[in-house]
Amino acid sequence: MSRSLLWKILLIVGVLAYSVFTFTPIGEKVKLGLDLKGGMHLVLEVQTKDAIKINTDQQVITLRGLLKDSSIGFESVRATAVNRFEVLGYSADMQQRVRDLLDDEFPDWSRSIDDQSAVLTLKPNIQQRMEDQAIEKAMETVRNRVDEYGVAEAAVQKVGIGSGNKILVLLPGVDDQKRVKELIKSTAMLEFKHVEAGPFQSEEEAKSNYGGTIPEDMTLYRSAGGRLGKALYVLQAATVVPGKDVRNAARSMDQYGGPAVSFTLNNQGQSKMEKYSAANIGQRMAIVLDNRIESVATIESVLNYNIQITGTFTVQEVDDLVLTLRSGALPASMKYLETRSIGPSLGADSIRKGIIASQIGLALVVLFMLIYYRGAGINSVVALLFNIIILLGVMVAFKATLTLPGIAGIVLTIGMSVDANVLIFERIKEELRAGKVPKMAIEQGFGKAFSTIMDANITTIITALFLFQFGTGPIKGFAVTLMIGIVASMFTAIFVSRVIFDLTYGRRKKLDKISI
Amino acid sequence: MRMLKKDTKIDFMSMRWLAFAGSGLIILTGIFFFITRGFNLGIDFTGGTMVEVSLVKGLPISELRAGLSQVGMGDAVIQKVEGSDQKYFIKAMQKTGQVSLEEDHEQTVAAFRRALNEHVGLVDHSSDAAGNKLDINNVSEKTLIDFFVKEGLSEEDAATSTEILLDMRKNEVGLITDFAQIENSGLKKRVITLLKEKGFLGDYTFLNVEIVGPQVGKDLRVKTTLAAVWALIGMLIYIGFRFKFIFGISALVTLFHDVLVMLTFLLVFRIEMSLQVVAAILTIIGYSLNDTIVIFDRVRDNLQLMKKDKAEDILNASVNQTLSRTIVTSGTTLLAVLALYLFGGEVIHTFAYTLIIGIVFGTYSSIFQSCAWLKIFESAFLGRKNG
Repeated sequence: MSRSLLWKILLIVGVLAYSVFTFTPIGEKVKLGLDLKGGMHLVLEVQTKDAIKINTDQQVITLRGLLKDSSIGFESVRATAVNRFEVLGYSADMQQRVRDLLDDEFPDWSRSIDDQSAVLTLKPNIQQRMEDQAIEKAMETVRNRVDEYGVAEAAVQKVGIGSGNKILVLLPGVDDQKRVKELIKSTAMLEFKHVEAGPFQSEEEAKSNYGGTIPEDMTLYRSAGGRLGKALYVLQAATVVPGKDVRNAARSMDQYGGPAVSFTLNNQGQSKMEKYSAANIGQRMAIVLDNRIESVATIESVLNYNIQITGTFTVQEVDDLVLTLRSGALPASMKYLETRSIGPSLGADSIRKGIIASQIGLALVVLFMLIYYRGAGINSVVALLFNIIILLGVMVAFKATLTLPGIAGIVLTIGMSVDANVLIFERIKEELRAGKVPKMAIEQGFGKAFSTIMDANITTIITALFLFQFGTGPIKGFAVTLMIGIVASMFTAIFVSRVIFDLTYGRRKKLDKISI
Repeated sequence: MRMLKKDTKIDFMSMRWLAFAGSGLIILTGIFFFITRGFNLGIDFTGGTMVEVSLVKGLPISELRAGLSQVGMGDAVIQKVEGSDQKYFIKAMQKTGQVSLEEDHEQTVAAFRRALNEHVGLVDHSSDAAGNKLDINNVSEKTLIDFFVKEGLSEEDAATSTEILLDMRKNEVGLITDFAQIENSGLKKRVITLLKEKGFLGDYTFLNVEIVGPQVGKDLRVKTTLAAVWALIGMLIYIGFRFKFIFGISALVTLFHDVLVMLTFLLVFRIEMSLQVVAAILTIIGYSLNDTIVIFDRVRDNLQLMKKDKAEDILNASVNQTLSRTIVTSGTTLLAVLALYLFGGEVIHTFAYTLIIGIVFGTYSSIFQSCAWLKIFESAFLGRKNG
């Protein structure tokens, strides 16, 4: 046996051993989908009022800015309810200008105005639309998170019609249910806020700084601990840049080498941040995550879009935060109403039938190959068995979830995977017919079929890659299985089959006839 | 063994107009049905009704499914709530032809009841067997108070008795399973006799009735479409790079053909569109592409070997040389899928059906269509004047 052949055999054995090691014990390692094994039935309620409140807070800052820009003096602008805010204390002769400004800039709000104050209330139809959008966005975000975590076969559905604010999430068995549940729910509400004063050691201390009560347009925030310690800061209630303007989060390292999160802002966020930081150099800004201050920094120059959050994160926390930021912040917080385990959606009977059918399908393919290609058929059947082993191993490694259609898909992949063998064998036959000696025919058959197999499979892999990159949910899962199937079949057909041919015929000095 | 006689020399190119006409006719039929009738969208696309039902005594899922089949909802999703032998989630929709989910909803709930009453043999207030008796497990608070008052209880007694009964229903399964529970509940003797005489314990109750939105909502549909468009562009670029741009176009047209023919079959035979069917269509795209590229690969070789020949001859030779491979591969795949279709049971049925259509027409299009399109774009394909 030649050295190179020995190496090839070792490689094959290695791949097989790795695959077998990965997926055994098969009952535990292969993840079964909702249809085969059941999973979690989660109902979440979206606190849509949150989204309305955030919007109102934003409008408060906008109005303040607009009043300042048009040099209209006023006492305060503040939110008085989730969907209402007011402006107080402008002089009576400004009433007309305030009215014009409100009419122009706040068409979504109904207003009542007198010579000192104006109250704006969000129009009910607009509020309804915003709440609906919040639910849509929440669903999209939940789906993204589940996808990013790698649960391909989950279902995310709205419960109720019209004013419904509940989301049903069906999760097949995942390793760390608790982590996923937290991940789904985590608002990852990131805000950049202006620091007014701090740090304080206690609420009283902070309050006394303002003569007993914190002004209405400011809020007291706690730090998340870590390097900031257990401190309190008084921040502007209004947000400078909301989390929805965050784009592309990634794990990075802070100056002390600890895990941190870097991200960039979108155009809207950039322009807000630039404007704000330019006007506030030397002041401090806080990064607030889910209502806790993660870091406070002095603005040293105009900030644009590349920002880092440092804190006291563990690597897993950073990864989860990156995942949630990347999948988009939730527009509002959510609450779990129901958490239940549910059984498989298919009866034992359906599952058994599906598996038997798959086995019959496989047997038929094997039988066909043996009859049609005789000796070489054995070769392709061995390759096919290896293929199944590798497929299972890689599926487990990729955390793919197996559903009944998925099993059917594997059977189909197997039907298709013999294609590479067929291509090679047909080429060998052609070469034999053209009068080549068997050894030459095998050599050239493999050689000529190679480029065909590569082209055909690479085209399919490219299609699958794009589906994986841009698709979501079940489409993603499908793309993964497809890619794994193709790569495994290329390996077995081109590599394993060749080695088997070499082992069978390679040592014979004289080879007159091959069984094909 | 040989599937085909030695070196076939079938003139596929001369049949191209026939193939175009045949496919065109099928696709036109599809368009006609699409306009007049539309797709038969399944619960994945439309959403449906979900109830959580609690039974006095647990039943196997297959029995529940059999009952639901009788009212035309055999494809309902039935899942047991773990940790309880009596609670199930049932998700389905009643094809009422109604446009809105709300209208469909009422009828679906009614159909669930009918299935359980008439076909599973359970009794609740809505079944005929209940007669005029009161279903203690399903009656509302107000009706119960009214009933007691009408039977001559004082208002105060009526209220306390009702409260006791409703409290008993607030257990893990939401049902009173046994009359003995009522007898030992501290209710007045008179009330117990009254309940025994004029009431009964319903066999089931709906703990929760909800409308659920589609699993494939607008957001998912848009994303999937975009993903498919990107996938096709990627494929086009690769083929353009490895072959010639025109091969990519021809492959693309062939793919569209396959998808449209499959959709036509789904439309004409009212096959329910589900996520499974979408997966089947995607699989076929991959499959058919594979088939087409293998033939194109041969065309590329032959373009070098047969420099002087006409386009028809090059294309015919290529299709013929790869014909036995095309048929063998289709054959093995079809074998596997046929097994799924025949033995796989109800659940894989539509998946397998869609695949069979796809494989048959995917093979047909690889042989009869892909090269025919190259012939249509002859000058770009040859890159030379036909001499």
